[in-house]
Amino acid sequence: MSSAWARFALLAALLLAGCEREKRVYSGQPATNPAGELYQENAYDVAQGKRLYTWMNCTGCHAHGGGGIGPALMDNRWIYGGKIQQIYRSIRDGRKNGMPAWKNRLTDQQIWQLAAYVRSMGRYVRKDVAPSRDDALNSGKAESRRERSAPLEPGR
Amino acid sequence: MRRVATIFLVSLLLTNAGSAADGEWPVASGSPQALRFSDLTEINTKNVARLKPSFTFNTGLHHGEESATLVVGSTMYFVTPFPNYLYALDLTKPGAPVKWKFDPHADPASQGEACCDTVNRGPAYADGKVVMNTLDGQTIAVDAATGKELWRAHLANIRIGETLTMAPMIAEDKVLVGNSGGEFGVRGWIAALNLKDGSMAWKAFHTGPDKDVLIGSDFHPFYPQDRGKNLGIKTWPADRWKQGGGNVWGWVSYDPQARLVIYGTGNPGPWNPDQRPGENKWTSGVFARDVDSGQARWFYQWSPHDLYDHDGINENILVDRDWKGSPRKLLLHPGRNGYLYVLDRTNGQVLSAKPFVYINSSFGVDLKSGKLIPNPAKHTQTGKTVYDICPTAAGAKDWEPSAYSPRTGFVYIPHANLCMDEEGVQASYIAGTPYVGAIVRQKPGHGGYRGAMTAWDVAGEKIKWDHHENMPVWSGALVTAGDVVFYGTLDGWFRALDARSGKLLWQYRTDSGIVGQPVAYKGPDGHEYIAILSGVGGWIGAVLTNRVDVRDSTGANGMASAVPDLPRRGKTGGRLYVFRLG
Amino acid sequence: MNWQSALDPHSANARHLADLFWFFTALCAAIWLLVVAALLRAIRHPGLAGEQDPPERQLRKSRIVGALTALTVLILVVFTAASFYTTRSFAWPDMNTLRIKVTGQQWWWQVEYRNHDASQVLTTANEIHIPVGRPVTLELHATDVIHSFWVPDLMGKQDLIPGRTNYLTLQADHAGVYRGQCAEFCGLEHARMAIWVFAQEPSAFEAWRRHALMPNTMPDGGAAAKGAYIFVHRQCASCHAINGSDAAGQTGPDLTHFGARATIAAGTLHNTAANLDRWLADPQAVKPGANMPKVDLSAPDRAALVAFLEGLK
Repeated sequence: MSSAWARFALLAALLLAGCEREKRVYSGQPATNPAGELYQENAYDVAQGKRLYTWMNCTGCHAHGGGGIGPALMDNRWIYGGKIQQIYRSIRDGRKNGMPAWKNRLTDQQIWQLAAYVRSMGRYVRKDVAPSRDDALNSGKAESRRERSAPLEPGR
Repeated sequence: MRRVATIFLVSLLLTNAGSAADGEWPVASGSPQALRFSDLTEINTKNVARLKPSFTFNTGLHHGEESATLVVGSTMYFVTPFPNYLYALDLTKPGAPVKWKFDPHADPASQGEACCDTVNRGPAYADGKVVMNTLDGQTIAVDAATGKELWRAHLANIRIGETLTMAPMIAEDKVLVGNSGGEFGVRGWIAALNLKDGSMAWKAFHTGPDKDVLIGSDFHPFYPQDRGKNLGIKTWPADRWKQGGGNVWGWVSYDPQARLVIYGTGNPGPWNPDQRPGENKWTSGVFARDVDSGQARWFYQWSPHDLYDHDGINENILVDRDWKGSPRKLLLHPGRNGYLYVLDRTNGQVLSAKPFVYINSSFGVDLKSGKLIPNPAKHTQTGKTVYDICPTAAGAKDWEPSAYSPRTGFVYIPHANLCMDEEGVQASYIAGTPYVGAIVRQKPGHGGYRGAMTAWDVAGEKIKWDHHENMPVWSGALVTAGDVVFYGTLDGWFRALDARSGKLLWQYRTDSGIVGQPVAYKGPDGHEYIAILSGVGGWIGAVLTNRVDVRDSTGANGMASAVPDLPRRGKTGGRLYVFRLG
Repeated sequence: MNWQSALDPHSANARHLADLFWFFTALCAAIWLLVVAALLRAIRHPGLAGEQDPPERQLRKSRIVGALTALTVLILVVFTAASFYTTRSFAWPDMNTLRIKVTGQQWWWQVEYRNHDASQVLTTANEIHIPVGRPVTLELHATDVIHSFWVPDLMGKQDLIPGRTNYLTLQADHAGVYRGQCAEFCGLEHARMAIWVFAQEPSAFEAWRRHALMPNTMPDGGAAAKGAYIFVHRQCASCHAINGSDAAGQTGPDLTHFGARATIAAGTLHNTAANLDRWLADPQAVKPGANMPKVDLSAPDRAALVAFLEGLK
């Protein structure tokens, strides 16, 4: 009997954990989040980042992670660092070799969401947080099905 | 009859001065008529197998070396990809040492605004000046003897995605320059600068009101769809012409007798056609303009309301030759949409348009109305994936220029054989970011080869021969009076074919892939030399130079799936090779 | 404004649908009454348990059952035929009439007036203006998920499906404002995805169309000019377009002539300066989950933006 209860409690805990995975905070998130961790652990933020990635023409240079005009984002080479805080800074302030600055074109929250999505392209986020499908023409394996791009950059 | 023919032939040789006097190569396409034909005969089909490297020169760079190597007097000039060094090599000394090197100090931010690698297609020479463009939007004239800067004109604004990659053309006393940026929603233009001091003589846009396009009372297009007031506004939804593209990043030809500048305009922006209903004038077409005033004389649109990024900027080869029994002033244009167009260059009438590759995106060109007949089944739209569109966004043939030999009457077309899947997505115009709105996946075309060198018989309106290549051919072509055709491959082979039969006569493996423009010249020692820059790059070469991750089939706008094998077949580099008979 | 109801038809097609509904309702009601009457009679005159019916009575019973079964089949056939013939006419859109492309997105409507003359192509959002007395063909698209277009006073509903085109014909008998909404659950803010149809006399419609086609003139001074600068140089222009300005974003609603619209955010708020200020201050408080983010703007900047947007008449 007690084992059935234990099973039920485990199931409930798992289900609740699932809720946490895509907990939606629409505008309550702190304006700047130096840690950025909240964003890359949240499936909703990563999904919003994926939407913005297409909307803001990121695909034009970085394709769907493979790159072209700009560097690939699904591999393990990070010119300006691959931590979410470093990616955030690359998007916000731009970089000298052509990456434009987005600080007046996106809100801080959106830049964090984008950075979180970029982290998911090389699967530097949890498998259950990474998007699992494309809504448009398939460019390859979904983010959640990709191998984690090893080696990880130092620090994380 | 025979006398008429002889007179015609003589006049043909006079007007077709395919290469400059004394085996020089003063502009990228060899001559204003853009034949890329050399009348040197020392190297021919019999002895070409004896070609050996005479000297090489390492640029130390790792991006696409698309520049032509100009030769004037005893000096060779060429421009590297970004940072756009202009080199002058002294051909009189053994090993051709650097005579001078000019650094324009281009802004590195321009690298992020160039759609298809940070290439430069070469300088131009006239009057003791070498004129070059820089990726960050400047046209600069340099003293040919000393390498000292004479003037510079800042023409393009990289903040909105405008760059300069084309080779300037010099016609009379004007330097003709056009902007790149069709993938960034840049409004296209061509400008004529005075060679003397770099001041602006005239500038014509390719969207917007007639006064901007320099359309006036002299404008007489052949077809009715190109006539009317302000079509550069009326064939667009409100305000969309402001980001409409129509850039001039390809080749400019010049007809000295008619004093006509003839050049093509690029694709409309964005690629997604749903966002720009209408014929989108004056994009994806060809203009003829008066060299002095810039006023348009005629226009023809290769791809009205372009659906596939089919720029109209490919070379226009100007030849005077027989057409169906009478001598005509012709324009030959192997189009991105897959047709070899023959136009009457005095008025823009289409005389012939036959496919030189497999095409399923259109059914042909109606010669009566001049209109391309699109295939509705391959019509791209927002939110819908259309499969197996041939040719692709890169076109049956991209920038790589063809050559024409008056001896054989064939056009030698280096090109690709690819197909694609495409889905349109909504694109926002955000200044300085790509304005494309399409997801593209390119793949090998029919027949198991991805590229070819094709000889097109102008009189017979058909393919004479095909030399298949495993990978798309992204280098220009050269044909000589010795009846040899030269071109290079992405995996580094520099090949010589028999111009009449297409038989492979000689080949040489260079360090990197070839996306350059082969050139023939007569050296100070009186011998014929063949020069080519090796250095993979361009849209397709970005797979290698920009380290595209080919797990993403849409990488480099779909090239990742067209040449996923490129990274293992070649390597980056930048080296000039000059060959002579050994 | 009219009451949003399929039973308050204002067009021939909606009337056919309403008639069909009443025909179904009336016939079903009559049958239900007959069944109830029969049931009551059976309760009042129960047969005796265990009693064996005489053979002629058995025969009569089976004849009645057979006849009623046949009648049921006949009624179903009539219903099928009626709905088939009523809706069949809707399935053939007239391609030579005014065509409007409607694209459903989370959670708003993009509206594009088609025209062979590209300069007459007009883009707006969340409002459709149509001339009365003539059919208008809607081309229905979606960019993200399935939506459904339903203006009950004028027509039945039709789905908008990503990757395909559906058609719907609208025609209004007389001028008026008709509310519609998304009729297929499409996510969090499904309930705040309304659309208004303004049916106008042809001359009024043509005047509206001509005016709407003109680019907005940019204010040259005061708070509105400051607002215009903010709009173009801050986050707004990344998603929104205003003809006449340098803003050309496409992923959010086109805001050309925004000041002349009735509502904000697809019918969420009435378009007043106070409501616009509230919306800009925090869209997520008004329509949580909408793709319009909260942009950090000072109160004076926001006031300037409101002055600019409300001035786009």
